[in-house]
Amino acid sequence: MTNEYVGTEVLEAGDHVQLTFPARGDLVVLARLVTSAISARAGFDIEDLEDLRLAVGELCLLAMLDSDARHGDLRLDFEVSPEAIDISCTLIGAGPALSTKTADGVEADQLSEQILAALVDEHGRKQEDGSARAWLRKRRKGPLA
Amino acid sequence: MTAGGDDAPALMSDLVEEDVVVRTPLTGAARDAMITDNLGLAHQLARRFQHRGETLDDLVQVASVALVKSVDRFDPERGVEFAAFATRTIIGELKRHFRDKGWAVRASRRVQELYLELGHATSTLVQELGRSPTVAELARATDSTEEAVLEAIEAGQGYRASSIDAADDEDHPLSSRLGEMDRHFDSVEDRALLAPAFASLAPRERTILRMRFIEGLTQSEIAVAVGVSQMHVSRLLAASLEQLRKQIEVPVAE
Repeated sequence: MTNEYVGTEVLEAGDHVQLTFPARGDLVVLARLVTSAISARAGFDIEDLEDLRLAVGELCLLAMLDSDARHGDLRLDFEVSPEAIDISCTLIGAGPALSTKTADGVEADQLSEQILAALVDEHGRKQEDGSARAWLRKRRKGPLA
Repeated sequence: MTAGGDDAPALMSDLVEEDVVVRTPLTGAARDAMITDNLGLAHQLARRFQHRGETLDDLVQVASVALVKSVDRFDPERGVEFAAFATRTIIGELKRHFRDKGWAVRASRRVQELYLELGHATSTLVQELGRSPTVAELARATDSTEEAVLEAIEAGQGYRASSIDAADDEDHPLSSRLGEMDRHFDSVEDRALLAPAFASLAPRERTILRMRFIEGLTQSEIAVAVGVSQMHVSRLLAASLEQLRKQIEVPVAE
């Protein structure tokens, strides 16, 4: 069984989409929705699309973890290439970090990174110009249709 | 930075970490402790897969079984920390769980169905409220989440599993064919007429109509499910629809 996007709007290799929204947990839904729309238009199947939705939520979490995100914005950058989709999430304009421990005592960033490792091909995180940035890359299973 | 991270997380039980002679696989108290210590991880991962039509309890069960497998297969001498190994195994099992249940096809179908359901819900709510409904109201009316409603609106017609339509003998997408049905049967009066007419059909015809127009199966898929040829399904559908039309036909100019 294969899945295909049958809409008329298709994202092509080289297309770049950017989304910026206030860094609030309840708005991560925007990241997931846009990820669905872009991944579908970039030709990823529905299973990859679900992986990417889940993964982008972790990206947002990772970007927010290192900072007091209450005053910042999250900027998502989507890049489609013939081989893969690259998504990065940058937290802009936020203060220093609070705790990163979850209720279970697990380090939240470690859990998110482990989840990313299981869902995407590459991922990482770094501080850039005072902003926290988390990124992922998911390769296509087959050639671009 | 790539998978796993360099720092060992505080997930492995002290019992295992301090055990100089590490046994592979673990047995007895060490194994139990390893499982117990990591049940929180299994729960957290299961929660990440919620809202896909499976209960959290079921997902936790799948994740917990996967955790046990992780403990039994884990080899500390390979240098991979347990939490990373277990996370990968548990997510793999959760994904396999959905895949084995044909989730991708059902999800595509669910999006389409919800999209269609939204059309009906919108009409009803416009009448009830005297205004266009909000997404929150639509989510309540269709017993789904706001995110699912938004996704269905966005992706409802654009994304589908090709197998649903691959063997179909018609060129139009399912949604447009259902739309045609709606034009005939959309009013409350028509639905009131349709219910007894539908009940008068033979059980097999009712099943085939339901599979075609409610579940969105293709004629070929119905043929396989019912055990007849696709041509026969086509004839039965045409005959059933004709019978329905005749029964609900309202005499003109009375």
